[in-house]
Amino acid sequence: GIFKRNNSRLMDEILKQQQELLGLDCSKYTVEFSNQDKADQVLNCQSTLKVLSPEDGKADIVKAAQNFCQLVAQQQRTHTDLDVNVLDNLLSSTNGFPDPDLVLKFGPVDSTLGFLPWHIRLTEIVSLPSHLNISYEDFFSALHHYAACEQRWGK
Amino acid sequence: MSWIREGELTIIERFCANIIKAGPMPKHVAFIMDGNRRYAQKCHVERQQGHSQGFDKLAQTLRWCLNLGIQEVTVYAFSIENFKRSKEEVDGLMELARQKFSRLLEEQENLKKHGVCIRVLGDLPLLPLDIQELIAQAVLATRNYNKCFLNVCFAYTSRHEISNAVREMAWGVEQGLLEPSDVSESLLEKCLYTNNSPDPDLLIRTSGEVRLSDFLLWQTSHSCLVFQSVLWPEYSFWNLCEAILRFQMNYSALQKARNSYLEERRRQEMEKDQAYVTKKLQQEGFASHGDSRRRQTLLQKCTAMKEERIQGFLQALEHKRADFFERLCTVSA
Repeated sequence: GIFKRNNSRLMDEILKQQQELLGLDCSKYTVEFSNQDKADQVLNCQSTLKVLSPEDGKADIVKAAQNFCQLVAQQQRTHTDLDVNVLDNLLSSTNGFPDPDLVLKFGPVDSTLGFLPWHIRLTEIVSLPSHLNISYEDFFSALHHYAACEQRWGK
Repeated sequence: MSWIREGELTIIERFCANIIKAGPMPKHVAFIMDGNRRYAQKCHVERQQGHSQGFDKLAQTLRWCLNLGIQEVTVYAFSIENFKRSKEEVDGLMELARQKFSRLLEEQENLKKHGVCIRVLGDLPLLPLDIQELIAQAVLATRNYNKCFLNVCFAYTSRHEISNAVREMAWGVEQGLLEPSDVSESLLEKCLYTNNSPDPDLLIRTSGEVRLSDFLLWQTSHSCLVFQSVLWPEYSFWNLCEAILRFQMNYSALQKARNSYLEERRRQEMEKDQAYVTKKLQQEGFASHGDSRRRQTLLQKCTAMKEERIQGFLQALEHKRADFFERLCTVSA
């Protein structure tokens, strides 16, 4: 989509705003784009930005399924080889990334609209009215909401 | 009937119901019935009591749904993650399940009268054998009823469900029933435990938590999500109405989003089919942009063959699943 095609413009805007908001501190917080081919980049930097679109949701699961079925057709795997962990590792849209802990959802629609269905199984979903002119206070209070959540993980 | 509370709505409730029904109504509602244990703590009773009250609330909520014309309900009764709880609590929940499923079988006449189809979704082999047998009996006894549908997710997580669906497709390839290129979003959906249900229109989670906890992650991608702070055993008719109102407010935006997603999916699957045909033409030595009539004919032929393969596979899958339940019933007979 639009974001994915305009990576450099997005990066310029991020750097500009970082300078405006953080002043001298901004060198402490490096931001890099995460690229599918360079998963190890993620480890070297403070903040990594990954831009996702609907094709990274269900379509990515289907792609992984198709790849696995191809291996089965070539008799390199059997169907019993596939479990939750194996499928998790076959997904490529979020290679090297941990599952999101928190989703900040902007806008009036009460739905995830297909966002990473596999990865958000334990994700806290905090809604904010809009990303336009969002204040730091609103953002911080969403983080605060997340910090107050109690995860029991089924126990 | 123990699973569905008898009774009609009060006058005030009926009045409200009529107002709400003037707008679009969800046909399928899913519930994460959270808060039984916190409720027990609040009321200073045993956890087991909390769960028992939770079941009573389920029965009452199902009655409200029927009164409102909501034909299908899916509930998250027991997650695979819940096996991590103390042996005492897990045994207590299994005992509750035993009681309730046994009771269900005693009330078969009532189920027939109301046309209730019960389905239990999950990794059932993880459960004690006697519970699997009770479940099999309940599912087989009600499988042809179609006035309303109750789906109970038991020993379930969404990731296990999705992995299972992929495994079934891989099994299909292994059996020679499917080609890897037949794998698609729509085929995967037909392999989920929920393949006989439309996606939920509305997902409600109680107790204030704002996460999905591995429940119907695939099926609720375009559902209206409503998080309510009330604890499940305290859920009221008004809480349900509130959730339905939220659904109504989101209705047109979600319809639009869902339709445009499905449209895009259809387009991509057609593109995939076209690419497959192009490859085939090239393999057979024809120019890929050549005779458009040949291309059309080949496309039709490939599509028809794919449809046939998929139907054959889905029938085999249906058979495998029915077989699983039938074998459990003969064990207990």
